[in-house]
Amino acid sequence: MTEKDTWLDSRARRLIFAFLLVVAAGAAYLHSHKPDNYRVEVNMVAASKGKALATGGRDTIAACASCHGANGEGNFELGYPRLAGLHPKYIAKQLHDFARDPLDVGVKVDPISRDYEKTPGIYKDLTIYSPGIRFDPIMNAIAQQLTDDEIENVSNYYGSLAFVANPEPVDFQSLERGQELALRGKPEYLMPRCEACHGPDGEGFGEHFPPLAGQPPQYLISQINKWQNGQRDNDHLAMMKNTANLLTDGDKINIARYYSNRSFSINEK
Amino acid sequence: MTIKPHHLLASVIGLFFTAVVSAEPFDPLEVRPTLVEPQLSLPTNLVTVPVISPGEYFVPPMVDDIPDDKTGDIIRWGRNIFVNTQKYAPRYAGNGLNCVSCHLSEGRQPYAAPLWAAYPLYPVSRNKANKVVTFQQRIQSCFKYSLDGIAPTVDAPEMDALVTYSKWLSHGAPVGVSLPGRNFADIKKTHDPDKLNGELVYKARCVVCHGENGEGKKNRNGVGYMFPPLWGTDSFNRGAGLNKVKTAAQFIKANMPLGSGYTLTDDESLDIAAYMWIHFRPDDPRVSFFKNRTEMKPGGGGAR
Repeated sequence: MTEKDTWLDSRARRLIFAFLLVVAAGAAYLHSHKPDNYRVEVNMVAASKGKALATGGRDTIAACASCHGANGEGNFELGYPRLAGLHPKYIAKQLHDFARDPLDVGVKVDPISRDYEKTPGIYKDLTIYSPGIRFDPIMNAIAQQLTDDEIENVSNYYGSLAFVANPEPVDFQSLERGQELALRGKPEYLMPRCEACHGPDGEGFGEHFPPLAGQPPQYLISQINKWQNGQRDNDHLAMMKNTANLLTDGDKINIARYYSNRSFSINEK
Repeated sequence: MTIKPHHLLASVIGLFFTAVVSAEPFDPLEVRPTLVEPQLSLPTNLVTVPVISPGEYFVPPMVDDIPDDKTGDIIRWGRNIFVNTQKYAPRYAGNGLNCVSCHLSEGRQPYAAPLWAAYPLYPVSRNKANKVVTFQQRIQSCFKYSLDGIAPTVDAPEMDALVTYSKWLSHGAPVGVSLPGRNFADIKKTHDPDKLNGELVYKARCVVCHGENGEGKKNRNGVGYMFPPLWGTDSFNRGAGLNKVKTAAQFIKANMPLGSGYTLTDDESLDIAAYMWIHFRPDDPRVSFFKNRTEMKPGGGGAR
């Protein structure tokens, strides 16, 4: 052993090597297990089960793909919505709401009785609720025939599909006004901006807030119309209902055109 | 058949009314009434929501009307800082919030402390500082408490940009007049806020966006918050205005849940604000570490 390497004997060297190995293994683990935010989390087993129903249908149920497109991309000409890359829980909730009896509106009694002396106001502990209602001439009949398992499977199947939007050219004035609504809303009417809930660039956020980008403009307009005339009432705390009631016909067109102009991709690698 | 005078009168009135109806101009697309009609499903809350009439609140200029000159560049920069403070003024922001987290709709929303109502009032005497403060000093206070960071100096370029943006937003607003929509909505406190009821209301209504533990929700790309945290290390500190139970309740009443403002009662808003207040948040930077541990917390939430 020379004078030079006495300060670091073989044991210390081995220790340092082991330490570096642990650090490298940790770094590799963190790198490989990084959450992929541009991918929807789905149950792949359920998704593989749901493929048959989505592409082939069952008995009297037509295949989902016949209207919603072979890859769930929707139909821009006829206004059938895109399903690819939507949150599976969102799709499942919509199917359950489609299947629900529209007369299932009830009265819920607040478990905590209110002190009427301090909170003047009648019927404050009787909340009239709708459990989530969505009218559609085609989808109501289909959803009523689906079982819970089928809804779960088909939702996961569509959540797992990839989608890339094809931005459409839109006139400048619609874009300008649509962007104003998307980024700033109508504060003078206390209407919040779309992207406060639907995510930056309308890409959707979580299971409660569906994407607006990549949906056919006709679909967005028809949904806001349904919110306004009560054919759709299945949101959380009436947030979308109150917001939709503040939109004029021009607003609907502008916002739908604006989002058809956005680029968007999900589940793509 | 005899023609009586009142028949004649009725027909004249009828003709007049048909003429008026037909002379009414065709509604342009922008102002046509929406399809709101009486509905099968009744509203989820039997409370009165104030109806907004056009012209009730000041309307700031549109972003597309920012001038295309050097001033316009600074206005755009100020807007960027305001909307994405984490990216454009990271050295001053100490937590995860942006200016727009509270000043909703880019500082335009009435009763969410809109900039167009604040800017024309400054300099003004402020209780918190016990003296007259300028608009720049007010912004410093925002950075120090609400953003839990380091206040930019009054001559910092970011400060210039924010002031220029505020001045542009209040273009056309009267100077020194307290406009409707300024600051936060009025609230009536009839009893001490009930933190237990606040927890129930929070769990029922706020959890979807702000999370079970008030931690907020991060953006899809993992950078910045989509829904801001209400308490914890990434939220405003004990010196902030929203730390005060009453101020937070005023904000909640008019703005939360987003889009369904005024659906919570005054009492419910106060209860939620008190429930927010009892949780941990960064220390008040005005007093020492030990005083923060031992003394009563500011904000009027009572003893913890």
